[in-house]
Amino acid sequence: MASAEQIATQIQNTKSLNVSISWLNTFLSTSNSAQRNLPTSALIKTALFRVLASDFRESLSKSPSSTLPVDIFDPNVQERRIQGPIPVQVLDIEDIGKSLWSQVEAIERVERGEAIRGREVVRTIAVGEENEGTENGNGRASNQSSTNASGGSGGSGPHRLILQDAAGNKTVAIEMQSVEGISLEKLSIGAKMVLQNATVARGMVLLNPGSVTLLGGKIDALDRPWREDRKKRLLERISSLQAR
Amino acid sequence: MARKILCVAEKPAIARAVATHMSGGSFQTHSIRGNQYVKNYEFEFNFGAPWGNCPVTMTSVIGHLTGLEFERQYKGWQSCPPGSLFEAPVKEEVDKDKLPIAENIRNQARYSKALFIWTDCDREGEHIGMEVRTQARNGNSGIEVRRARFSNTERTHVLRAAREPITLDELQANAVAARIELDLRIGAAFTRLQTLQLQAVAEILKEKVISYGSCQFPTLGFVVDRYLRVQNFKPETFWGIKVMLQREGKKVNFLWKRAHLFDRAAVIMMLERCLMAKQAKVTKVNQKPKSKWRPLPLTTVDLQMMGSRFLRLDSQTIMKVAEALYTKGFISYPRTETDQFDKAIDLRKLVEKQYPDSRWGVYARELIDGKFKTPRSGPHNDKAHPPIHPVSWVNPSQLNENEKKVYEFVTRRFLACCSDDAKGQGTDIEIQYGEEMFHANGLIVLERNYLDVYVYDKWESSQELPKFERGELFEPTEANIFEGKTTAPSYLTEPELIGLMDANGIGTDATMAEHIAKIKEREYVVVNKRGSGRTKVEELIPTRLGIALVEGYDNVVTGLPNSISLSKPFLRKEMELRMLEICAGSKTRQEVVQQSLDMYREVFIHTQRRIAMLKAACRKYLVEQASS
Repeated sequence: MASAEQIATQIQNTKSLNVSISWLNTFLSTSNSAQRNLPTSALIKTALFRVLASDFRESLSKSPSSTLPVDIFDPNVQERRIQGPIPVQVLDIEDIGKSLWSQVEAIERVERGEAIRGREVVRTIAVGEENEGTENGNGRASNQSSTNASGGSGGSGPHRLILQDAAGNKTVAIEMQSVEGISLEKLSIGAKMVLQNATVARGMVLLNPGSVTLLGGKIDALDRPWREDRKKRLLERISSLQAR
Repeated sequence: MARKILCVAEKPAIARAVATHMSGGSFQTHSIRGNQYVKNYEFEFNFGAPWGNCPVTMTSVIGHLTGLEFERQYKGWQSCPPGSLFEAPVKEEVDKDKLPIAENIRNQARYSKALFIWTDCDREGEHIGMEVRTQARNGNSGIEVRRARFSNTERTHVLRAAREPITLDELQANAVAARIELDLRIGAAFTRLQTLQLQAVAEILKEKVISYGSCQFPTLGFVVDRYLRVQNFKPETFWGIKVMLQREGKKVNFLWKRAHLFDRAAVIMMLERCLMAKQAKVTKVNQKPKSKWRPLPLTTVDLQMMGSRFLRLDSQTIMKVAEALYTKGFISYPRTETDQFDKAIDLRKLVEKQYPDSRWGVYARELIDGKFKTPRSGPHNDKAHPPIHPVSWVNPSQLNENEKKVYEFVTRRFLACCSDDAKGQGTDIEIQYGEEMFHANGLIVLERNYLDVYVYDKWESSQELPKFERGELFEPTEANIFEGKTTAPSYLTEPELIGLMDANGIGTDATMAEHIAKIKEREYVVVNKRGSGRTKVEELIPTRLGIALVEGYDNVVTGLPNSISLSKPFLRKEMELRMLEICAGSKTRQEVVQQSLDMYREVFIHTQRRIAMLKAACRKYLVEQASS
């Protein structure tokens, strides 16, 4: 059977995660005999899966080079760079390209069952939408307003995330360029990612395909309530905006 | 042996128009007993082989001859539980006021060897044709039956229709019969249920019939949905970045690719990073020909939408006016889904007919002198009627105000279809500033083409852009944050509602205007006029009762798996799709009636069980809110 050290080295090399030896020992001692008899590669896979579903504050060892600067949120710092690699987990994600209210409306459409195929309701049409096109373009105005269905300017994002490192430091991150896998639907709460060579500007980590690697995973205990309460949170934020 | 041929049109005016053409203007007019509108016109006409020269009686009905009704014992409001109307026996009977018309057809059939049906060529017309055939056969069981296929009352078209008859389409008639039965049963069951249950809830409902219709309710649903979206809307602040460059004495404004974001701190940070970069780089300079496409051939839905937008007439009025223009032989049949012209139609000849017009005669001549283009083809073809187009020119002094407007629109639209697209030169410039992308677009209109006649479309040149080179660097004159607020959608307007009904499969092009008129008449919706002159808008606002009904029915099905509110379009859309299956021959009338009744019966049972929710909604809006 592979030792905790072996597993830790392997995960460090492939995923840049510095898994704590004591956490791995606990993992090994609580795994059943069937698991213990797995080939090393399979055991490592299982361990990694558990790590991605864990809370990094418990499963990773903390070192200054693999955690965020403690003053990372400082808005007075115009720009700095963090070398990393720094493993972090997602605590929150928001689409700042859409109004809160349009997101509430989108959730309500799903609640009414209008996301089911064949049950969609076309709610907006462009009356007298002009037929404009380039020579070879196909610019026929369409009444099927799939873009309107999302209630926003089409597409999604950019997203604002709250990330947390192994030491429990939190930071805001902004998706400056679209990163595959960052979306409200695809990214779970508790999902793991690694920051490397990322720019931090005015207390915000700038995410782009070069500065972040998504590892996946989720923390079930955080993700479920986050999704269930999302509409409530949006509504609360809207009413606090109106009160201002 | 009888030599005569009996012709029956859908309306007296069509009978007269067709008789005029077939007789060359000389016919004898006979009144019929018991109806002052329907006349018999007698003349001779050479039908060609195999009929030859025959005496003709041309007469008409006035719409449907028969109606479907429940048997007497089910007619009283309290006579039976409303739910039993889903199965109660029904019978088809000639309407009382139509009895003389039916008798006239039976009598005339007795002396005729053949019946030519001249009802309008659409589903309803097929069904009316069937009713006429039944009466004629009652008078003369051996009578041969033909159908004239025509889509306007222009002379040569009418004469050809008379000489090349086809047969009645029983499938389409069956689809109408199914629709009639479903409308009767579903309408009556829900109307009785909700009227009896709700009358006691509020004083103002006491004497009121609260009618239900499977098209009316989804139509109302759209109005309420939009109203509530406007009411519930919460404005939010957003921020964006704008970049301006002064060059060659011109100000060029660059728009942010992200448009705007809802996070102020992030936008400020992004702007700062732009400024840190100092210089912006031109990443794209695209010069490309642009065109604005001429409109598609005109359908009924488009006529209603565009008409109520540009002519400021409501859709029902537009349809009435269009109907009158058709009957008088000025435009083609105004109920059509087709947006492609058949190759067989001589479009140039139709264009030529517009030469005498003082407004667009010169334009029409230019088309024929070389600028004519074959119209674009849209995706729809109902296989019955061409797109709406003018069939002959009419001096505007012969028309009333509304007729003038509609005729002008139809004609300008037709000429636009036969014209070239408007052409222009577009310039797209994209820059990268820091990590952010911005763009500026310019347009120069080079050839107006169809825009010259289709005054309803606008396409204007923008300010000319100064020269930019790909890869060049420049320092923007200004880069700032701007702030804005999201705004509520506006209340629904009639053209939008027609568009929504069309997009969601509610009603047919022919009936949409009626459904909208119905929900106004029932006081579920009122029209609110805002602004004046060119900015005048007519908004549809639901009444308290209208909102209560929609909310009530939505609550009835809340939490029930797979149950659909009557305020939503799906049930009706499903029914319309099944009508099409009857027309295509893939389902029988009986199958469709049973399936559709089953769907609605399920909702009916839920409604009965959870009627308290419907009552609560009415109480909330009509008692509590009305008094507060």
